[in-house]
Amino acid sequence: MSEKAMLEIRNYSKSYGGEKKAADDVSLTVMSGDIYGFIGHNGAGKSTTIRAVVGVLDFTEGEIFIDGHSVKTEPMECKKVTAYIPDNPDLYENLTGIQYLNFIADVFDIGAAEREERIKKYADTFEITDALGDQIGSYSHGMKQKVAIISALIHEPRLLVLDEPFVGLDPKATFTLKEIMHDMCAKGTAVFFSTHVLDVAEKLCNKVAIIKQGRIIASGTMEELTEGHSLEETFLEADK
Amino acid sequence: MIKDGILLLKTLLLSTSQINIYRHTTDQKKKKKVVVSFIGLICLYTMLMAYSISMCIGYGAYGLIDGTPVMCALVITAWAFLFTFLKTNGYLFNFREYDMLMALPFDTETVAACKFLYMYVKSLPWYLSVSIAMMAGYGYYARPSAVVYPIWLILTLFVPVIPMLAASFLGFIVARISSGFKKNNIIQTVLTFAFVIFCFSLRYIIDALFENGKAEDTFEQISVATGSAARIYLPAKWFSDAVLKPDIVGMLLLIAVSTALFAVLFRIVGRSYRNINSALKSHAAARNFKMTGQKKHSVVQTIAYKEFRRMTGSTNYMVNGALGMILAALLGIVTLIMGFDKIVAMVTQNAPFDAAILQPTIPFIVYFCVGMMATTACSPSLEGKNYWIVQSLPISKKTLYQGKMTFNMYLSVPFMTFAIVCMCISAKVPVSETLIYIVLGFMLCCFSTAWGCVCGIKHMRLDWENEMEVIKQGTAVAIYLFPNMIATMGLCVLMTVLGRHVDHVLLALILIVITGVLAALSYMRAMALAERT
Repeated sequence: MSEKAMLEIRNYSKSYGGEKKAADDVSLTVMSGDIYGFIGHNGAGKSTTIRAVVGVLDFTEGEIFIDGHSVKTEPMECKKVTAYIPDNPDLYENLTGIQYLNFIADVFDIGAAEREERIKKYADTFEITDALGDQIGSYSHGMKQKVAIISALIHEPRLLVLDEPFVGLDPKATFTLKEIMHDMCAKGTAVFFSTHVLDVAEKLCNKVAIIKQGRIIASGTMEELTEGHSLEETFLEADK
Repeated sequence: MIKDGILLLKTLLLSTSQINIYRHTTDQKKKKKVVVSFIGLICLYTMLMAYSISMCIGYGAYGLIDGTPVMCALVITAWAFLFTFLKTNGYLFNFREYDMLMALPFDTETVAACKFLYMYVKSLPWYLSVSIAMMAGYGYYARPSAVVYPIWLILTLFVPVIPMLAASFLGFIVARISSGFKKNNIIQTVLTFAFVIFCFSLRYIIDALFENGKAEDTFEQISVATGSAARIYLPAKWFSDAVLKPDIVGMLLLIAVSTALFAVLFRIVGRSYRNINSALKSHAAARNFKMTGQKKHSVVQTIAYKEFRRMTGSTNYMVNGALGMILAALLGIVTLIMGFDKIVAMVTQNAPFDAAILQPTIPFIVYFCVGMMATTACSPSLEGKNYWIVQSLPISKKTLYQGKMTFNMYLSVPFMTFAIVCMCISAKVPVSETLIYIVLGFMLCCFSTAWGCVCGIKHMRLDWENEMEVIKQGTAVAIYLFPNMIATMGLCVLMTVLGRHVDHVLLALILIVITGVLAALSYMRAMALAERT
């Protein structure tokens, strides 16, 4: 499979009006088939960058390209191939799980038979099929997270963007999600996700970027970055 | 307890204070929004004051200026009662930050009382607008002694308390009853509708209790009606006595009863506060879903369906959004049963004119109810923390708002058509004219939907803590609602006057064109604004 830049962030900066920038000259490239970890402290600028990538946050400085399309000028083209799972997915609480998934499927123009097959597959995998007829408001945090993950997977995105995806998931669901991420990458999907859990990043990712106070302080393949040390040691060293 | 209460109230007010946002945000867009909202609110307060002063001018012109204090107290009372009742679920019960607040060391009475006081402080500017304007009008015509003004102002602070407490108590009963059911949301919505409709008909019940025969003119009749109401509702009499005489007993009674009722009510509410909220915040879960044939829909339709579920899932949204539709349907049915002439006579207090001249106003009378609220005015803001979903999906903003508009059309057009048909049958309007009125009604729905969307997008507010902030007190809703209602009343008068000289069909056709143009302009404006969000 030929490698292709699925996500390219060039000199992206974002400030919320104050002097300090939440993201400062961030540049990185995620190729198809990559599992790219984005690590940093709380408030380092991870979510600010991710939210700009998925078109939730407006920005003026820098450029972000998804599958060759500019997020600024061709947002729809970018969104059609991207799926996003936020850290704390606030879903439509008045919809049932199945209604929400149908909503997403309608948006991505997925046929009836296809959606049914995919929803069933992922809902069974995450063991929430029984609950799909209930209101999302009745779900636990983990169940909401699972619905958000299924909604991200049913349209088979070419870029999967996740903000702290493992928070709130039970161990089995965490394992399943990691498996799914591997499978997707094998098919050429690029995965870009933020995490605090360095062990997970070390085992899962082939590339990593470390962000501190809005700036990328280290990035590259896991081997290049760690040079035989653990990711934790590398992170703490870079963070000094 | 008092110290805790002050701290909590201060924090509640600060958490939703636009001034606080303005002071602390570095986002210039947000600052601009706060300023625009503030200017919008000032305009609305001014309109309300102008309306209140015009009532005083009417009273003054007919030599009935002494009826102003009672009228002022009753207007504030009715308004405070109705609006508080519509807000109790969401403000007093079933609010978002319930878990967070209850986990803090506040007793339930303090939380409930602070929530009530928060509602009171937030709505006080509206009551003050009415009261200060009426005080000015009264002062101009009656030339009272200087002591009247401070008494009037102080008592204005107490006038809304009793109706608000009564409404809160009713809200408490509704919440208490609903909390016992599995589908508490539906029960709460139905009970709330039932109470609201009862309140709307209360005035006619009072009139029926105090049949005074035919008065010579409408103002005098209204004065008699308000006098009758004040005999039943003593706080209005206390206020009036305190201002007119001035009577210290009336003044003390109003203050003492308001304070005592406040203390008693929150002792009662505090006892079951935790139970009610726990029940209202819990959801029934069947966990028995079986995957059966799923269907595919267009994006616009699926957004419209999402809006439908959003509405039916929230008692607050349902009651406020569908109230006008229910009232329109009831108006149609009642007119059909009682007859158009009788309804007109009842509403106009037997004012001496032929009911037939009101026929051209039928679409506007119905629109007064149906157009009371457009879901498009609050639904952009209601996305709130869910906004990330539509932002991150490949849905153009135009499609999103088209979906929201489609839902409002699905909601308003059937009720509009039904009520117009009922009223036209009752008023014996010819079929051809009825069809034209239906078209006019449809155009009005188009306008209401598109204009609501303009207001909703322009004054979109996503950072709300409580959905009532955008459903009931949002700038978008207020800016949509008040000019729309006043313009509708104006059009009713205009249609009545012009209907005497111009052919009804021609008049309706002209209005279809005008409304159509306004709807198209509003739609284009909404689409242009959508592009910029």
